[in-house]
Amino acid sequence: MSDALMAVREALLATPLSTIALTLAAYLAALWAVERLGRPSWCPAVLLAAVLVAATLWGLSIDVADYRRGADWLMLLLGPATVALGVPLYQQLPHIRALWKPLALSLPPAAALASCYSLALAWALGASPEVLASLAPKSVTAPIALGIVEGLGGSVPLLMGGLLLTGVMATLAVSLLAPALGIRDHRILGFALGVNGHAIGTVRAFELSPAAGAFASLGMSLTGILTALCLPLAWRLLGL
Amino acid sequence: MIAVLRGFLWLTGVWLAGETLVVLLDLPVSAGVVGMLLMTALLMLRIGRFDDIAAAGQPLIGLLAMLIMPGVVGVFFVADDFAGQWLAVAVSLVVGTLASVLTTLLLMRRCMPAEPGTDATPGSRS
Repeated sequence: MSDALMAVREALLATPLSTIALTLAAYLAALWAVERLGRPSWCPAVLLAAVLVAATLWGLSIDVADYRRGADWLMLLLGPATVALGVPLYQQLPHIRALWKPLALSLPPAAALASCYSLALAWALGASPEVLASLAPKSVTAPIALGIVEGLGGSVPLLMGGLLLTGVMATLAVSLLAPALGIRDHRILGFALGVNGHAIGTVRAFELSPAAGAFASLGMSLTGILTALCLPLAWRLLGL
Repeated sequence: MIAVLRGFLWLTGVWLAGETLVVLLDLPVSAGVVGMLLMTALLMLRIGRFDDIAAAGQPLIGLLAMLIMPGVVGVFFVADDFAGQWLAVAVSLVVGTLASVLTTLLLMRRCMPAEPGTDATPGSRS
């Protein structure tokens, strides 16, 4: 009896389809739950879904490495999905042309500081080089950040946790700081959300208004490109 | 449906072209980023049918959160690997993000021209 069960378990663990089913089920369940809770900005569906998967793996004592091997099949789609980000970028080109001057002035320092503040703090608090490499692209949208972290030699799980926390914090910070500074221009709010809070901030911006959403995805793409191009070079120059 | 397939072939092909460039030129950037820039350039040059590429691209972008979710799962299993560093991680992310949002907002308020429309900018002095 238990031999048969073990054989079934072995067979199911061997196919990536069980991982894919688990991932889809957890994600759909998380979407449903987040919808029920009224889409709180501190708890994106991804976070809840990841908790559900982790709890399932822990409950069935499945090795996370086994899960990751199956999930690689899904994550294979990240390649074409990243390429697909070129489509909204192309659609934003009129915005970029019209506002290239303020964008060129504010984007590079904003994107650089998004990374530098955290790196300086982490370094001052004694974080290891691997941790620094994992946190450096924390404001970059995940598919691009994954590529950067692989190049820098950081830890992917730590990066993903950092991305989540950063997205949630950026959303909170914009909703707290913008009224205090008297900023109501949705283009600025959206841009700040996209530059600092990547996809999580962009989702929030689309809830504010379509204009905020457009500027958030613009800020997100430009930050991603700029960081992807500059960070590995800066890393090489610093000799890290 | 065939349009989606055609679009997906474009996206995959452009990714492969990106990977080729990364390997040939020893670029420090991922194939996806190079592919994204290539894709934008191709669309600007009117190469490839926009409708096909958008038909395959929009659903993929909508699924991005689900595609990265398996990566997030790992963070719950690396607690021991980074023992003693979690305070540094948490402080740098929380404080660093607050500081960078503040900077972005101030920078943008400085650089951004007043909105062309009448849209809520009571603070603007024209």
